Amino acid sequence: MVIVDDHAIFRSGLKADLDADIVVAGEAGTVEEAIAVIAAQLPDVVLLDVHLPGGRGGGGREVLAGSAPLLGTTRFLALSVSDAAEDVVSVIRAGARGYVTKTISGAEISGAVRRVAGGDAVFSPRLAGFVLDAFGTAPADIADDELDKLSARELEVMRLIARGYSYKEVAKELFISIKTVETHVSAVLRKLQLSSRHELTRWAAERRLL
Amino acid sequence: MTTVPARPPLVRSSDRVIAGVCAGLANHLGWPVRMVRIGMVVAALAGGAGVAFYAWLWIMVPTADESARRNARRPASPIAPAVSSPDILGVPGTPAAPGVPGGPGTLGASGTPAPGSWWSKVPGMPFGKEILLGAGLLLAAGILIARLLGVDVPLGTLIPVAAILGGAAIAWMQLDETRRAGLVDKTKADQAGGWARLAAGLALVVAGVLVMVSGSGSWEQTWLALLASVAVLGGVALVLLPWGLKFWRDLETERAGRVRATERAEIAAHLHDSVLQTLALIQRRAGNEHDVIRLARAQERELRGWLYRDADKESGQLSEGITAAAAEVEDALGHAVEVVSVGDCVMTQRHEALVQAAREAMLNAARHGGGAVSVYLEVTDAAAEVFVKDRGPGFDPDSVPPDRLGVRESIIGRMNRHGGTAAIISSPDGTEVRLRLPAAASAGTAAAAANHANGEAKP
Repeated sequence: MVIVDDHAIFRSGLKADLDADIVVAGEAGTVEEAIAVIAAQLPDVVLLDVHLPGGRGGGGREVLAGSAPLLGTTRFLALSVSDAAEDVVSVIRAGARGYVTKTISGAEISGAVRRVAGGDAVFSPRLAGFVLDAFGTAPADIADDELDKLSARELEVMRLIARGYSYKEVAKELFISIKTVETHVSAVLRKLQLSSRHELTRWAAERRLL
Repeated sequence: MTTVPARPPLVRSSDRVIAGVCAGLANHLGWPVRMVRIGMVVAALAGGAGVAFYAWLWIMVPTADESARRNARRPASPIAPAVSSPDILGVPGTPAAPGVPGGPGTLGASGTPAPGSWWSKVPGMPFGKEILLGAGLLLAAGILIARLLGVDVPLGTLIPVAAILGGAAIAWMQLDETRRAGLVDKTKADQAGGWARLAAGLALVVAGVLVMVSGSGSWEQTWLALLASVAVLGGVALVLLPWGLKFWRDLETERAGRVRATERAEIAAHLHDSVLQTLALIQRRAGNEHDVIRLARAQERELRGWLYRDADKESGQLSEGITAAAAEVEDALGHAVEVVSVGDCVMTQRHEALVQAAREAMLNAARHGGGAVSVYLEVTDAAAEVFVKDRGPGFDPDSVPPDRLGVRESIIGRMNRHGGTAAIISSPDGTEVRLRLPAAASAGTAAAAANHANGEAKP
């Protein structure tokens, strides 16, 4: 994997915290470096800071845009100190598979990296909260693939994640398999990326204007 | 108007008697200056034609300096706007076009018009406006000659029209090139609506002046004059619009700059007051891990609140109460309490109870559970719910001795009294406290009974 963060101290700390079986193939501190390193290393996972210097000021979003052809093979996990909804939502919509905060522990982040490498989405409680805020808490009463609303089951999963449940605990609580939980979360991620709900597009638009 | 590429540009010379017109003209045409000056004086004696010509050149021909500056951007005759819009002028503009080979001349050298600007609508004419101006002048001359020959031309109508068009043209040419392009773009003047507006304005001006000029002394006069004034004012407002827009935009830019500067100062002041102070404190207490974590955590919370606060959000909301309670617990026990909230509502007395119960639950979670505490608040139309989860070893709620007030009284009892419910789910993986407070309407009689005064309950 590749770590992209502009603070060298944070990068080295993170490397030390990660599980031994996760190989850090490269590091980058700016948008340009990140795009170059990612293209050269073709990692499975990129841990991507949302706020990065360089480029045109777009930060992590710009790295995602610059690595767009690789999005099929390389997965991006957004990492941020920021709580701001528009930061998070904008990187997710640019193609990141998940979002965690920097206060997360080494073990948790290792788990998140593995999960993302396996093609699943990683939602922190806060991201789940954003999703619920943006999509509303009323379930869709029509088809499940309606992009602008979450199905009743997806809402339940999101709620539990927002309450601090792990995927395993969500599965246990809802009497479903972990795989099913992951499917639901991936479906929510897809909706988050593709939906044109006003709240989401507004965030994205505001971000682009800055 | 035929210019040959080899000729020096027609500019007013600095070698001047009055305005440098004759010297410039001589330079341009390659004639001796003296001859041009004598010719001009002779023409001036012939019914004042020379004076008019001189004045016209004075106005229209730029000085050498001006021309150089203008060429740096785009050489253009300033009179362009009104003159080269044939439909307004009524001058047959296009027939004049094929007569002139559109080679790169000296007057309108750069053939490429500004992108999107409207004179690109005069196709294949690098200096179409000059040609149109010439055509206009020829037309005027024709009219004068026709009058001399005894043909009746409504001169009294034509002169005001020409004057007004000239005025509008002068108004628009005051905006320099880039501004004009930007303005045309901004006001969407290159679209039908913009042109309609411009045409309407001009029509108003024309109509106004015509009515005034032809107004008789009858009783209608007052009414007509009034109408005319209104019309003229409308036209003038339209003509002044470009300035208004320009000044407004300059003002906006300046204001934005000022706002940015103020914001920056505010950020600097805030960072100094909070973050730097905390960092200093942390350095002094570096030995005490507990204190350092607490300070860092409190500062982080404060900074987050400041950075990501929602300006539109009103105060006195339920989520604020929960966040404040979480902060209190964090400070007291040094455990991180993560609050995620979805939806919000105004805090009432009943919600106060919910916050108190949640606070108690957080305290328990931080005290007995290990690691981070997750708090989730969800407010819907039906109810407000709070979930407090920790990852401690768990306990059996039923085995809690009756004399322990914490859980039984502060959480369950308090919620029940206010028409809500509380449940505690504990397992070896952690404990979760679930609090639910129905909205006033759906709480029904239980809430009403519990809420003796019930003044704050909404229908």
